Amino acid sequence: MPIPHHVLQQRRRGGATLGRDARREAAEPEEPIRPADAESAGEAEEKKPAAASAPGREETEEKKETAPGRVARLRALLDRPVALGVATVLLGAVAAWSAVQADRLRSGSVAENVALTDTALTSEVKGQLGDAVNELFSYRYTDMAKTEQAAKRLLTGKAVQQYQNMMAPIRQQAAEQKLVLTTTVTDSGVRMLSEDRARVLFFVDQRSTRTAKEETTYAGAMLAVDAVKVGDAWKISNIDTLDVPR
Amino acid sequence: MARIIARLPRPDDPVRTTALTLLVIAALCAAWFGWSWYSAAHDEELAYSRTREEVLRTGEQAVQNLNTLDYRNIDAGLKVWLDSSTGDLNKQISGSRTSFADKVRQARTVTSARVLESALTELDTRSGKAVIMVALQITVTPQEGKAVTKQSRMLGELTRTRAGWKLSALEPASVGDTGGAPAQ
Repeated sequence: MPIPHHVLQQRRRGGATLGRDARREAAEPEEPIRPADAESAGEAEEKKPAAASAPGREETEEKKETAPGRVARLRALLDRPVALGVATVLLGAVAAWSAVQADRLRSGSVAENVALTDTALTSEVKGQLGDAVNELFSYRYTDMAKTEQAAKRLLTGKAVQQYQNMMAPIRQQAAEQKLVLTTTVTDSGVRMLSEDRARVLFFVDQRSTRTAKEETTYAGAMLAVDAVKVGDAWKISNIDTLDVPR
Repeated sequence: MARIIARLPRPDDPVRTTALTLLVIAALCAAWFGWSWYSAAHDEELAYSRTREEVLRTGEQAVQNLNTLDYRNIDAGLKVWLDSSTGDLNKQISGSRTSFADKVRQARTVTSARVLESALTELDTRSGKAVIMVALQITVTPQEGKAVTKQSRMLGELTRTRAGWKLSALEPASVGDTGGAPAQ
């Protein structure tokens, strides 16, 4: 890239201050043209008082030549296309690097998971899904419709079929054995939580009473459920029995 | 910045104008993303989420460690147990170490564990306490005979130490406690 000609002009002017001053004294008519010669309004303003009085002009010019301020140095730097380019590339690199770092911190599974971090949402999902598990896996042979209605309300997607498969054998036994199955969540932990998706791990106690045989058994079970939020309600979309044989 | 540009000579040079515009855009981007990075790095919620993942990972590993033991290599195995624990649990292990090692040697069993699922139920980063629940699959292989696999529900308490988070309590979730008060 060639050196812009305004740079050359400035250099020329700087180098020939004395000579031009001498010339100016000899031929004053040159003076009125100067403001027009200046490249910007700022420079023109600086030079106007100089034109009014000779000693004043001497002072301003000397100050400008010997002690260029930070702004002047920056301007000189900005006059060099290479410096401009390098600065642009460096700042661009800083921007890109920062963007990558910020994104690494903000996105990804860790940052998007607000389990425990968002305490209100965590207890909401634990409460609603805990109640859902209690209701879905509690069965009373005298009121089987109740559980079926709960299933319609609380399940969605593939969980509907999963639940049917899990409950089919229980449903068969329920009437003949006069089965009462009571499931109670004892522990729950939110594994993953976002605004509208969650995965929760449950430890449950199951008490089944076969009224016909007058026999009650207790069993501990564990399951994980995936859930989606539909409106204000969390619905179970996947039931993971964690390979526990049922 | 704007003042400097306004004062620059020959704004009509298109190459220069373009270069300056790019410089300003680059500077603004650097400032914006720099701030974004800084605020993300100092975001308390993000820091809490990162701690949660770290504690969960450490807790999973510690619970798995404490359910893994090979009778052929008991001392190294129990060393891992001690390294994964702190407080009362650590004292318990070191107290019963000798008698326990003898039992396992006699039984000649190899026990291994696999974490099926886990979650933190509590995390207090200030006091350095956490509670973890772990769904575990434990396989016990005797020297002769078939391996037995069972699912286990573990509840553990984690405490922050100078050497990271360690288990200070671990026990299986009990069954039948809630049997007296069924939810109807």
